[in-house]
Amino acid sequence: MSFIKKYIEQETITRRNLLLASAYGVGGAAISSMLGGMARAAITDPTVAWSYRNRTNPYWNEIVSGGEAFVESLGKPKDFLTHLINEGSSEKSLADVKALLSKTNGELALAIDTNDAPNARPVVESCVEAGAYVSTLWNKTDDLHPWDFGDNYVSHMSWSDEGPAEQTARILLDAMGGSGGVVHLGGIASNNPAIERLAGLNNALKDYPNAELLAAEPADWDTQKANQVMSAFLTRYGDDIKGVHCANDTIAYGVLEALRAEGIEDMPIVSYDGNPQAVELVGEGKILATVFTNPHWGGGITAALAYYAATGHFKPSEEPNEHREFYGPTIMVRPEDAQAFKAEYLDSVPTYDWKDFWSTSNGQIQYK
Amino acid sequence: MYELINVDKKFPGVHALKSVDFKIGRGEIVGLVGENGAGKSTLMKVIYGAYQPDGGDITIDGTKVRFQNPRQAMDHGIGMVFQEQSLITNLTVMENIFLGFEQQFVSYGVINWKAMAEAARKQLAKVKLDIDPATTTSKLSFAQRQLVELAKVLTLEERIDGDLVILLDEPTSVLAKEEVELLFSLVRELTKRASFIFVSHRMDEVLDLSDRIYVMKDGEVVDVVAHDDADVDAIQHKMVGRDVDKEYYREQKQKPYQAEAKPLVAFNDVSVAGKYSDISFDLRPGEVLCLVGTEGSGREAILRTIFGLETPSSGTVALKGETVTKFNAQAGVANGVGYIPRERKVEGIVAGMNVYENMTLSQMGNYANSGVLRIGEEKSLAKQWIDRLAIKTPDVYKDCGGLSGGNQQKVVLAKWRSAGSDIILLDHPTRGLDIGAKEDVYDMVREMSDDGVGIILVADTLEEAIGLSHSIIVLKDGVAQKRFDCSPGDKPSLYDLVHHMI
Amino acid sequence: MSNVLTRDVLIKWAPLIVLLVLVLFFTMMEPRFFSLRNFARIGISSAPALMVAIGVTFIIIMGSIDLSMEGTVSVCAVVFAFAFIALGGTLASWAWLAIPLALLVGGAIGFVNGLVHVLLKIPSFMASLAMGFVGTGFALLLTGGDRIRVEDDLFRSLLTERWFGFPIMCYVALLFLLIAWFIQSRTTLGRNFYAVGGGEELAHASGLNVNRVRIMGFALAGIFYAVGALLAVGRIGIAETATGSNFMFVSITSVVVGGTALWGGIGGVWNTLIGVLIVNVINNGMVVIGLPGYVQDGVLGILVIAAVVLSTDRKSVTFVK
Repeated sequence: MSFIKKYIEQETITRRNLLLASAYGVGGAAISSMLGGMARAAITDPTVAWSYRNRTNPYWNEIVSGGEAFVESLGKPKDFLTHLINEGSSEKSLADVKALLSKTNGELALAIDTNDAPNARPVVESCVEAGAYVSTLWNKTDDLHPWDFGDNYVSHMSWSDEGPAEQTARILLDAMGGSGGVVHLGGIASNNPAIERLAGLNNALKDYPNAELLAAEPADWDTQKANQVMSAFLTRYGDDIKGVHCANDTIAYGVLEALRAEGIEDMPIVSYDGNPQAVELVGEGKILATVFTNPHWGGGITAALAYYAATGHFKPSEEPNEHREFYGPTIMVRPEDAQAFKAEYLDSVPTYDWKDFWSTSNGQIQYK
Repeated sequence: MYELINVDKKFPGVHALKSVDFKIGRGEIVGLVGENGAGKSTLMKVIYGAYQPDGGDITIDGTKVRFQNPRQAMDHGIGMVFQEQSLITNLTVMENIFLGFEQQFVSYGVINWKAMAEAARKQLAKVKLDIDPATTTSKLSFAQRQLVELAKVLTLEERIDGDLVILLDEPTSVLAKEEVELLFSLVRELTKRASFIFVSHRMDEVLDLSDRIYVMKDGEVVDVVAHDDADVDAIQHKMVGRDVDKEYYREQKQKPYQAEAKPLVAFNDVSVAGKYSDISFDLRPGEVLCLVGTEGSGREAILRTIFGLETPSSGTVALKGETVTKFNAQAGVANGVGYIPRERKVEGIVAGMNVYENMTLSQMGNYANSGVLRIGEEKSLAKQWIDRLAIKTPDVYKDCGGLSGGNQQKVVLAKWRSAGSDIILLDHPTRGLDIGAKEDVYDMVREMSDDGVGIILVADTLEEAIGLSHSIIVLKDGVAQKRFDCSPGDKPSLYDLVHHMI
Repeated sequence: MSNVLTRDVLIKWAPLIVLLVLVLFFTMMEPRFFSLRNFARIGISSAPALMVAIGVTFIIIMGSIDLSMEGTVSVCAVVFAFAFIALGGTLASWAWLAIPLALLVGGAIGFVNGLVHVLLKIPSFMASLAMGFVGTGFALLLTGGDRIRVEDDLFRSLLTERWFGFPIMCYVALLFLLIAWFIQSRTTLGRNFYAVGGGEELAHASGLNVNRVRIMGFALAGIFYAVGALLAVGRIGIAETATGSNFMFVSITSVVVGGTALWGGIGGVWNTLIGVLIVNVINNGMVVIGLPGYVQDGVLGILVIAAVVLSTDRKSVTFVK
């Protein structure tokens, strides 16, 4: 029956839009004007929520712990943060948000990864309509922009992985002496980060004519799958493999173990994400480089943006576009600075200023 | 009118039909008899289009035809009433009758249920069945279902202009005597419109109903007998190629049971709500006690109570002097009760498990040390019983699903006997078996009696009940009507029993 | 009996034939596929999956299904890793106790699984699926999303130490395969699995305590999942909530492809061995000959359908009565 409900909801929304549009007498910008009209004044004590896939993945675990650190900075207990777990379902993601919106009567500061890009629009629209404040992370379509929705769609943060992945590739290729075969183990083939990280490798390879990409195979961000794929690569290419470019740390662990099973100890490997264990391995020299995207900060700041916009600390519509859509910070971790990095970011969680939104940003998001 | 000429059918390793000639005239009832494996089923399947013959011709009124599937045969007026009832029990009667032919009641994609019910009522009237066509089939008795099945086939009457040929495959196997009579009078009436081919294990019925009888053996038609010349002994002789012993039921081997011994089973005013009420009897060692009654008279429920599958609502059941307090199958087995149910495939043997595995299924504990099986002992047990009961199997590793019905039955018997069960419950033990296999079962019954085993029997036919038993209890609607003593030479007649059954 | 190549015989040996054809095919496409080192690699990837698949084989023989393996494997892996590290972090200390502990936990989860299925009369697929989620959730609760490294060289010798070219974990898997075979063919429990799967009514009417058999089956499966978890940790040296991922698809695919019938009563652990090898040979071979990943999934899907079709037909074919 849910499709009927959905249809009715859609119909009511479109009809209301139409009415409002004619009332305001505006044509093209009907949606934004009507939504702007719905915006309310600052909310004193909004509910803070994080909507995400689940905590099984260490990366998302970090994101969420950042969100918790943020609510603690407000002097609230950890569980003040409401968790909406979508388990990889966009439908559940949207349904949960709608349920929470009606429960809180729109007094909500929401940080969300909408699971896939198309789901971002309905989520944002329902939040804006209810007068809630929403900040998105990672997923949204290219035609959806915070500045089209007045104050309520506060911000979108993402990372471009192409540049950092290219940097790690160069480190790898240099370690190989600039020649020989490279294999790439990627994420789930259709994932944006997976595509960008492979593109980074390809960019770097253009400057190393003697190096060759032997194969690129998806390992689905999965240690065990990576382990099997690496084993098969060893069968196919054997000693031709001089270096391994991994799309993330979890993949690198599987690769390391596949090599270890064969008694190969000194293969140059680079990875991505900067998980604590990977940083440790970088310190030991087993991985040459990983890229830290500081998910803890990312998770905290996304919630903070929505919260402070909701409470009126700043007015999003008065901020420049580069403060509404921006790339998150990245830190390259190399063997020589692994110790220092570990001490600063991992052994103790740094206390962040959750009102310092943009100082480490990598600039406004560019669309190709 | 309908004729098979020189029809041949081969399967890998089996020559199932050897140049069979078969003919049926308008309005004729033709009987088809033969032991299991004689080729009856194959012949029927060729007739109604499930198999295509490898050689020979099929003609209708002299025109050659070839059916690719049963539907094409139906379009030529040939319908089949199945032995294993083919009605879908969770559909209504009318849905079953018009299954696959609903199109006639459909307009704009919607079924006109009223019209279908009306049409169904008309079909049901043909078989004199006065029930609501919207009844769910599962609520009907077996006899009623059989008639619905017939009504379903009779829809051909409206659809087909030509003559009808209707096959009845063991239609009486689930029917009580009076229901059989009803069916027969119906079939005779319907010969105005259709011809019938009638297959049954019950020789008397075939003789009673058929105008002509085809006798099959080993894939050949060995004789065609006209109704008036038919003689049971002669036909059976042709079927099995040997004389059927006059003492078919082994009456000469019937010895008096130990009437003074402690009863193995004692029922004292036992009732199971909705099934039977106030049943009392004692079963003594060596006794064969037969429960006689129509389908649903409570016979099976009594067996199930003794085994522990039904819990009495009142009264007491004592096994070997001990009053039973826990009614479940484990307790039944522990008390030495062996149950040989009617549906061998469902409850008798596990297809996919081999001979020795089936035999020790109820007594694995005796062949295991702390859960580890002594397979060597299992095999030697199986070998011993294969010899003792003359079970036809290549070896102990044979999958029981691949054995013939009679041999499956022997495996089931061996299972309980070898486990030391001394109360054996037999529910239709000879159903679907050929004569040779039946005789083996009768021998086994006598042997068990001699060993002091108490047997409670629900027989396939009344003759069987009379022939085998020491005592008979006649049941009607869950109430005991009369108890007969059946010493050899002083057995009650069929009439005596039927008189109390209905 | 003269007709050797009957359908039944063909079906019985079809999985092995498929395996041999696949090996031949991949060898022809890429000779390096056919090497001891590569077979060792296939062995490494097969070992944990084989344990999990054997566990679920017992359940499928009973005619039920168990979908709790991912959660169970995760919990066992995580519990093992925590206990192992807490008790000394090397097999040479009391930490070896973590191994029986993990098996115990696996058995306990399976036991609860069976209880829920039998006592609450919930269909096994639903009960076990739910238990699987509970397991994953519990593992997450224990780890808080972190991964635990098990670095003990002695424990990791499962992977690093080789006899005749194969790492020890392959021999451990082989040992448990033989134990499973023993259970299947020589114990009352194994016999009961077939009886329940072949005819539950009949098993009941033969005085078997069917409920008890079911619960024991789930507990036994849980123990094998735990062995799978130990080998999985041994393979990558990490225990985490994601350790159990993908085991559901791989194990059930393997069981079906190996020729064990989903409705129960037919098949066994050797079928499962062949099935697991087929799946892993495809996974390995596809990469070795350089075919993209989505083709692998497609080929596996087709194999599953083919396997079910082959084994289903056997029932509907009727010969002369």
